[in-house]
Formats: sequence, structure tokens, C-alpha cells
Amino acid sequence: MAAFAALILASCNNESTAVNTVESMKTPQMENFDKAFKSLGDPQNRPTEEEKKRNTSELSDRRKALLVPASKELILSSGVTEAELMRKTGGDMSQIIVWATQIYMKKSDEIRKNIKAEK
Amino acid sequence: MKKTLALLGLTISSLGYSQGGPLIIKNLSTNYDFHGNIIANNFAGGCLPFVMSQDPEQVIVQAGNTVQYDNFRDQYNGSLSTVATWSVSVNSGLFGPRTWNHPTMVPGSIISKNTQWSHSKFQMYHAGTSNAETYFNGNIGNKNNPCLSASEYIDALPMGDASWFTVTSNGTVYTYLVIN
Repeated sequence: MAAFAALILASCNNESTAVNTVESMKTPQMENFDKAFKSLGDPQNRPTEEEKKRNTSELSDRRKALLVPASKELILSSGVTEAELMRKTGGDMSQIIVWATQIYMKKSDEIRKNIKAEK
Repeated sequence: MKKTLALLGLTISSLGYSQGGPLIIKNLSTNYDFHGNIIANNFAGGCLPFVMSQDPEQVIVQAGNTVQYDNFRDQYNGSLSTVATWSVSVNSGLFGPRTWNHPTMVPGSIISKNTQWSHSKFQMYHAGTSNAETYFNGNIGNKNNPCLSASEYIDALPMGDASWFTVTSNGTVYTYLVIN
């Protein structure tokens, strides 16, 4: 009986590891990109009183800077070279963040397609 | 002269395009799914045109997922959580349904050019269930929208929070709704 239970448990474990989700298949660079967005909510990174008073929804430069390292990492992981990144964006934070967002979306789509193909 | 004209053309087209860009909903929560309507409207002209998701009324972004809406039309083939029909008001104040492929909903149309992503009334649900989280919901959106009042930060901690902001790149406004 114990052996039988163990067998059932083992088969359940196999099943759970076989289920791949986009979440579990994200590359380390995608995870870091998510973490950077999450970090905007850390107490020291939230909008300051001065930033809140601005008459715009545009993310402040201070908070954009928090997204740049992970964005660069994600862009470079797609095969773009550092020189190319600088040439295309001129180091502009907004362009880097938006470019990384598009790479993130493309990679998510690819992961989703791969999961579908496996099923 | 040719160069000046080309430059002028570029400037004009980029100005036109600056009216709208994608909406990106990043649900970074591990415990809750996002259910919310999505709205775009004109901040002038008596709020018209005004566009909101109708079928489905609420888009769903599961915990851990990111969804992008490029524009009213292309989202239908490109997004993980699509809108088949929009509810649209153009000048009468009356709303009528327009499908994603309606000729007036294409990029560059009067409706597209005169609206920007502005707002979402949302409710978080325990992931994978139909159980709403009583304390995690709200009206999030552009705080300068004269047509709907919204906050750019909704604090539902410790369950989570929601932030709304834009990043403007080369004249295109990317609107982010981030759930933590």
C-alpha cells in the first residue's frame, strides 16, 4: 500500500514538472527585466512628492534609470552588440527600455509557441 | 530643398504617430490574475472619440504574464488576450460596437489618431479562479485625463499594487500598466 502511494506521488510529481509555463521558461534576462519593473514599487523607488506633482504620466528619468541595466542585458542577450546598442539608441533611456520591451514580447511569444509545439 | 521636404514629412508623420502607441500590461503578481477593461479616449474634443473594450469587456492577464496591445486592430492577431469588439463613441456621445477589423479602427484612422490609452477599471482575482480579491481593484490610468478620474498608483499592499506610466521613445508613447 505504501509502495502504491509512493508510485502515485511520483507520477504526480512527474506531471507537475512536465507542465511548462511561460513563467517557468523565461530566460534569466527576462526575469531580471521583470525584477527591474517590480523594483519600481520598492519604497525608495516610488514617485517622490516632486515627481507626483509633475503634469505628465511620463516615468521620471530617475525611475527610468532603474530599468536601464536589465533592459540593456535583455537587448544584448538577443545577439545585439554593445556598439550596435549605442549606435541605435544613442544611450537614450526611453529607446533602450522600449526596445527591451519589444524583445521581451518576442521572446514570450517564442516560448509560448514552443510550449504549444511540445503539447 | 528635397532634404528639407523629406525632413518635414518625417516630422509630420512622427507627430501624427505620437498620438498613440502600444499599451503594455505587465502582471508581475504571482498570486492574482488581472481582469480589467481597457479604455482609450481623446483628452480634448469633449472626450471624443472614446473607445472601450466591449467583447470581452474585461481582458484577462494571468499572473506572471505580459500582454501588449499594439493598436485597436493588430492586437486581435498579436495579443495574448484580445478584444474582438470595441465600444466606440465618435461624436454623438452614443456608443456603438465596432469590430477589431472595422475600417475606422485601423492605425492612422481619425479614431486612432485622436485617442490615447487612458484608463482601466480592474479587479484582481485569485490566480486561476473566479474569486475576486476584495481589496485589490481600482480605477487606474492617466491622472491628466479630463474625462475619467483615475490614480496612477493603487496601493493594495500587502496583496499588491498597480502603477500606470508612459515611456516616450522617438515620439511614440508606450503606456505601461504594471501590477506587482
